Amino acid sequence: MLENAKRQEGTKEGTRTARMNSSTERTESPVDPKLLEILVCPMTKGPLEFDGGRQELISRSAKLAYPIRDGIPIMLPEEARKID
Amino acid sequence: MEQPEETTHFGFRDVSLEDKQTLVNDVFKSVARRYDLMNDLMSAGVHRAWKDAMVTALNPPRSDTPFKLLDVAGGTGDISFRAAEASGHGFQATVCDINPDMLAVGRERAIERQLDGRVTFAEGNAEALTFPDRNFDGYTIAFGIRNVPRIELALAEAYRVLRPGGRFLCLEFSSVDVPGLDRIYDFFSFKVIPPLGRAVTGDAESYQYLVESIRTFPRPPAFAGMIRAAGFARVTWQPMSGGIVALHSGWRL
Repeated sequence: MLENAKRQEGTKEGTRTARMNSSTERTESPVDPKLLEILVCPMTKGPLEFDGGRQELISRSAKLAYPIRDGIPIMLPEEARKID
Repeated sequence: MEQPEETTHFGFRDVSLEDKQTLVNDVFKSVARRYDLMNDLMSAGVHRAWKDAMVTALNPPRSDTPFKLLDVAGGTGDISFRAAEASGHGFQATVCDINPDMLAVGRERAIERQLDGRVTFAEGNAEALTFPDRNFDGYTIAFGIRNVPRIELALAEAYRVLRPGGRFLCLEFSSVDVPGLDRIYDFFSFKVIPPLGRAVTGDAESYQYLVESIRTFPRPPAFAGMIRAAGFARVTWQPMSGGIVALHSGWRL
């Protein structure tokens, strides 16, 4: 039983790594810099900071980090990560 | 005491504002891949002429003069690609859509057509745009405003992001008032489109929503009043194909 559980955990870990790899391989479709220049926070209309490492757009005024997925910024507060 | 929940139309049903957004998202998630094909089948290709009329009205410069378009609810890129192909090197479009599946299809097509330098994609809400004030020369929304829960907010945002001198254009289903055509249109809407939707996309319900939502959308004079209330001037509309659709226009002066 325990072994079985461990094995399952192992597979889960495996898929997670595979998924992370595939997301880093997606650098072929980076976000368009012209788009980054114009985007503002949809809540406060304040400026955004681009975090290239995390692929996030940070709105200090709304305390939200908006994700960029497959080169498409997701500018919805319900999809954003809360920050301090 | 609980506040009574704000409601809106989802087809013929009354639903809460939040539920409407979720329901609309499901519609487009389910049909994204075959959206443009369904448009061809449902309108016998005539949607292309409606969209071309919108691009003609937008009249983007053929020269290198800069022109910035915001194409809202334009997920699959259909309007933006037509506008890009009709204009010069100064043209730049941003597609903003709330649905990631529609945007993914659009971005893929932009890369295939080598238009990805001139058409960019962002996921966002028409009611709370992610763009600065007075930034765009044109705003287009084709068959999208009907799906927005709070239309007044979307219109106010359209006005905010347009530059003075900027043009608002909205293509939307309208009310058929040609005698005879109205009955054929009703039959086609309720008896043909949902089964056709099921056959092509595997989803009849989404197309049932589509035909119902067309009937609950305000008639052209009422919608023109809403556009004026948002601040736009010289508001006009042009019925096309016997009133099946209307092209609404306004200017930010």
